[in-house]
Amino acid sequence: MSFRAGPRKGENYELSQDLNSEYRDKRKDAIKRVIASMTVGKDVSGLFPDVLKNMQTEDLEQKKLVYLYLMNYAKTQPELVILAVNTFVKDSDDPNPLVRALAIRTMGMLRAEKIIDYVSDPLQKCLRDDNPYVRKTAALCVAKLYDLKPELVLENGFLEQLHDMISDSNPMVVANTVAALSDIHETLTSQPGYSPDDPALFSVTTNILNKLLIALNECSEWGRVGILGALARYKTDDEKEREHICERVIPQFQHVNGAVVLAAVKVIMIHMRGIRREDLLKQFIRKMAPPLVTLLSSPPEVQWVALRNINLLLQKRSDLLQNEMRVFFCKYNDPLYVKVEKLDIMVRLASDNNVDALLSELKEYASEVDVDFVRKSIKAIGQTAIKIDSAAERCVNVLLDLIGTRVSYVVQEAMVVIKDIFRKYPATYEGIIPTLCANLDELDEPEAKAALIWIIGEYASRIDNADELLSMFVDTFTEESYPVQLQTLTAVVKLFLKKPDVSQGLVQQILNTATKDCDSPDVRDRAYIYWRLLSSDPAAAKGVVLAQRPPISLSRTTVSPALLDELLSEIGTLASVYHKPAETFIGRGRVGADSVQRKGQDLVDDRSDTQKALQTVAAGQQSENLLDFDDVPASDSQPSGLAATTIIPQTPAAANLLAGTSANPLDDLVSIFGGGGGMTDTPSAPQNPLGGLSFGGDNGFGSPITSAPPSQLGASSVASPIQTQKPQDDLLGLF
Amino acid sequence: MAIDGLIVLDNAGRPIVQTSFQSTSPAYPLIHIDAYSNALAKVSRPEDVDPVLYVAGIDDTKRSACCHVGCGGLRLLCPVSGDIDPLFALAFLRTFIDILQEYLGHVSASTLRDNFDVVYQLLEETLDSGGHPLTTSTNALRDIVIPPSLLNKLLSVAGANISSLSAASSNPFASPIPWRKANVRYNSNEIYFDVVEELRAVVGRNGVSLSNDVLGKVDTNCKLSGTPDMLLTFTNSKVLTDCSFHPCVRLPRWSRDKALSFVPPDGHFILMEYRYSPSSSANPSTLGVHQVPVPVMVKPSVVINESGGTIDVTVTSRLTTRAIEDFSLELYLGQGAGAPNFMVSGGGSWAFDPRSLTLRWEMANMPASSSHSLRGSWSSSVPHPRPARAFRTKFAIQQHTFSALKIDQLRVSGEQYKPYKGVRGRSLVDIEWRW
Repeated sequence: MSFRAGPRKGENYELSQDLNSEYRDKRKDAIKRVIASMTVGKDVSGLFPDVLKNMQTEDLEQKKLVYLYLMNYAKTQPELVILAVNTFVKDSDDPNPLVRALAIRTMGMLRAEKIIDYVSDPLQKCLRDDNPYVRKTAALCVAKLYDLKPELVLENGFLEQLHDMISDSNPMVVANTVAALSDIHETLTSQPGYSPDDPALFSVTTNILNKLLIALNECSEWGRVGILGALARYKTDDEKEREHICERVIPQFQHVNGAVVLAAVKVIMIHMRGIRREDLLKQFIRKMAPPLVTLLSSPPEVQWVALRNINLLLQKRSDLLQNEMRVFFCKYNDPLYVKVEKLDIMVRLASDNNVDALLSELKEYASEVDVDFVRKSIKAIGQTAIKIDSAAERCVNVLLDLIGTRVSYVVQEAMVVIKDIFRKYPATYEGIIPTLCANLDELDEPEAKAALIWIIGEYASRIDNADELLSMFVDTFTEESYPVQLQTLTAVVKLFLKKPDVSQGLVQQILNTATKDCDSPDVRDRAYIYWRLLSSDPAAAKGVVLAQRPPISLSRTTVSPALLDELLSEIGTLASVYHKPAETFIGRGRVGADSVQRKGQDLVDDRSDTQKALQTVAAGQQSENLLDFDDVPASDSQPSGLAATTIIPQTPAAANLLAGTSANPLDDLVSIFGGGGGMTDTPSAPQNPLGGLSFGGDNGFGSPITSAPPSQLGASSVASPIQTQKPQDDLLGLF
Repeated sequence: MAIDGLIVLDNAGRPIVQTSFQSTSPAYPLIHIDAYSNALAKVSRPEDVDPVLYVAGIDDTKRSACCHVGCGGLRLLCPVSGDIDPLFALAFLRTFIDILQEYLGHVSASTLRDNFDVVYQLLEETLDSGGHPLTTSTNALRDIVIPPSLLNKLLSVAGANISSLSAASSNPFASPIPWRKANVRYNSNEIYFDVVEELRAVVGRNGVSLSNDVLGKVDTNCKLSGTPDMLLTFTNSKVLTDCSFHPCVRLPRWSRDKALSFVPPDGHFILMEYRYSPSSSANPSTLGVHQVPVPVMVKPSVVINESGGTIDVTVTSRLTTRAIEDFSLELYLGQGAGAPNFMVSGGGSWAFDPRSLTLRWEMANMPASSSHSLRGSWSSSVPHPRPARAFRTKFAIQQHTFSALKIDQLRVSGEQYKPYKGVRGRSLVDIEWRW
């Protein structure tokens, strides 16, 4: 024992005096003061020897406090902890089970290399202790030991003991044993290159399964979550067995703790996949709804997690909660994050039967105070219009009412939404165009301006003063933001193609301005393309610019099907809350012996399953990108677009484009045209550059590749934030 | 499962209690505290912070999430890493708050500081360093952590040896029933049931409820000796839907004949929670028809002009026999609101909170079938003020439940005594009235 020659006065000196006092209560009081200093960040490590002297005591509370101190400094002063080992070992033989449990728990927590070798014997005894409290504490200690020194666990046969303890008479011991085995399993699987035969892998067998199902009904809520997690990993091909598991798990829906409910939902969703009996599936789904609804009466943070999971479940099972839209109505005092999720789910549940109630709610929300929420509500109105054809007119009327309020941000958001409705239902609501144009002066956000300009361009032939309206924008062209510039450019060209006689001058002016005075390469290049098209082949220009656009629709899912399945098997985890696979956001959060990070995977091939699913996601996104480029030509029902996209990667310049290494986009553009032209079996001239063009327009000019699948066009242009929307808008605006 | 630890912040955002974070770097709790205060700085209302924050970590390999809940000016953070259920962490936080309340009575920064030794012991007992919640039932906890009591304090001041008292139970967790302490003894055996129902509704401009939910719970206080086995039956169990139960309730029995069979924990606990729907939810799409009648009538009229607005609200009780208690009505008056000038007729008092810009009208008691009103105006420094679109009213009704749930019988077996039984009903109402 090495005493440091500390200063002879000051707080620590006084504490040290008191710790060595002959009076018991004085010593205890001093320990409390030491802990208090420790928790406010003062360095009291110098008192280590003094505190240690107080470790052997009859007073349980004092013992706990000394242990607390030890745990705190074990990391920084491991060489001192060794002094405490004897007391630990002695305590693990104490007649009081609380002391035994405390000793074994603290030894597990210390995480000091030096102390580990002394743990084995006491742990051996504690695992066989008469008292269930000691046994369950010891079980968890095994997992910690494995984390630090796996070979010690294997050598001492602790694993076999744990497996025996699954049959323990006390459900809490069973629950903790399952937790320990799962922890060990995770520790192992998070290391690369583990053997699939490793004994530390926790594979649930039929025998274990039955024991788990029994313990499930008797242990604490936390134990239940752990057991349900193990059940979710159980693999079986036997349909009867799966039914049996589901039936035994369903009563857990009635637990008060939301975590248990979600864990049970997860088990059901996983084992339902192997069940083919329709009536059973229906029954499970029906029973799943009430507990989820009940979660919505919990505090807001629980509601949020529940809502995120409900959102995911609805994408797989749209029949869940069919008649329950009213429970998702937003309360005025709900926090914003809850309201936003509720909105999303309300639109998901919208159908012909409830659309009226939905719309009057949304209109109500659109007049609330919070700007973000108002905007999202207006977007939701647009989504409803696109989702339910028969309700579109009612939606448009609501939007017109909102525009009538003349609140700036309401008008602007409504404008953007109406543009999407025009896309979905072309030539249906032209009557409202004058109302929209009357609000021209109120628009100051680029997105809203661009939306109105798009509408003017699209319906140029029906708007008498379209040229006047557009010329206003042409005059201020250089001051506008790029999205507005792009839309103005396209709208003017559309106007020219529809009414050449009134807009000759305007189109000249804008092409001039855009090519000479504009500093955005996107705008300049688009202007060049138009100019060339218009001057070389006006018919082709018509074919390109006024081409029919593919219809938009609201997608049922926000994630791809492969990902959805992966996420559904992770219901009630961070992955399901973020709607992203765990790999994309969870790293290794701990240091030390690098314990568990990943959600436990059962076997090696299980892991590769995940990997495969992720690859599918990635591959799906790539192919979706390619499909995006096809949109325009495909809608002309010509194969050229597809052909063009397939040939492009073969040309070196295109490869440059894709790799993003090209220095001069114009060169690339030319070479793409060349590559496209080289295709012998392209049926018609105009469509071929079309395919190339769209590719060039998207990549060569530096705009990011969109990752939305084509079926999501509507969804992304309505729901997704502006950034992802732009490329698509550009693409569509171009034609 | 990986709850990495728990941090308690005071209302200035400083950590006052935290677990030891054995297996993480010392910076780990700090970046979580940082993440929370950053998120807090971005929102206008503290309750708008996302409940699960993504924490990027120091480098790319240490990503995690931070779950948090608030309680009495405190913020409890729960850093989690690994793909775990955030609800698991949130549920644990709520449970921990409940335990603190049970132990300290009132949870605040100062009570935590005063009893830090107890709080630390509780943390050690409830959360394992590996992230597993351990003992969270207060029944079992009281065996291993002695609640701070006046007696303990007095004894320690007097210098008495309390270690003998501390060893409250020499054989903890020996009870075969995990939620009930073994060998409980009371002189008078009593059990009380509080049936508390809360009506939450949104009423539209036309006076029709848009959404209307009654949530009920049976709050139980059990002071019974030994190991009583109870059987509770209701005369009208049909009114109960979407029930969830305390783990002590035998679920098969409930699904067979709607009777609650259980061995109760000792002390306070919530026996069951349920939803009441008048039509026994036969066809939820016809909800408009089978609704719980709203016990008051609020007639709001709000006029907004260039520089303020006027309000005229009349509240009429529809109850004919019972009084309404603790009535309050609130309205957010919008940015720049000030100079409120109101008058109440029929009772109560109004107040305007200039910090939250909320007008509040309170009445301690509102006799049956009575009518009250609040009139007045306010001015706004912002042209065309945008007040909240809904009034919020809250009140309570004693001796009344919406479902009229009635306990038929309570049978106790396994013990010789005949307990004193008490049942009480109470309703809380929380309604939004749009104007």
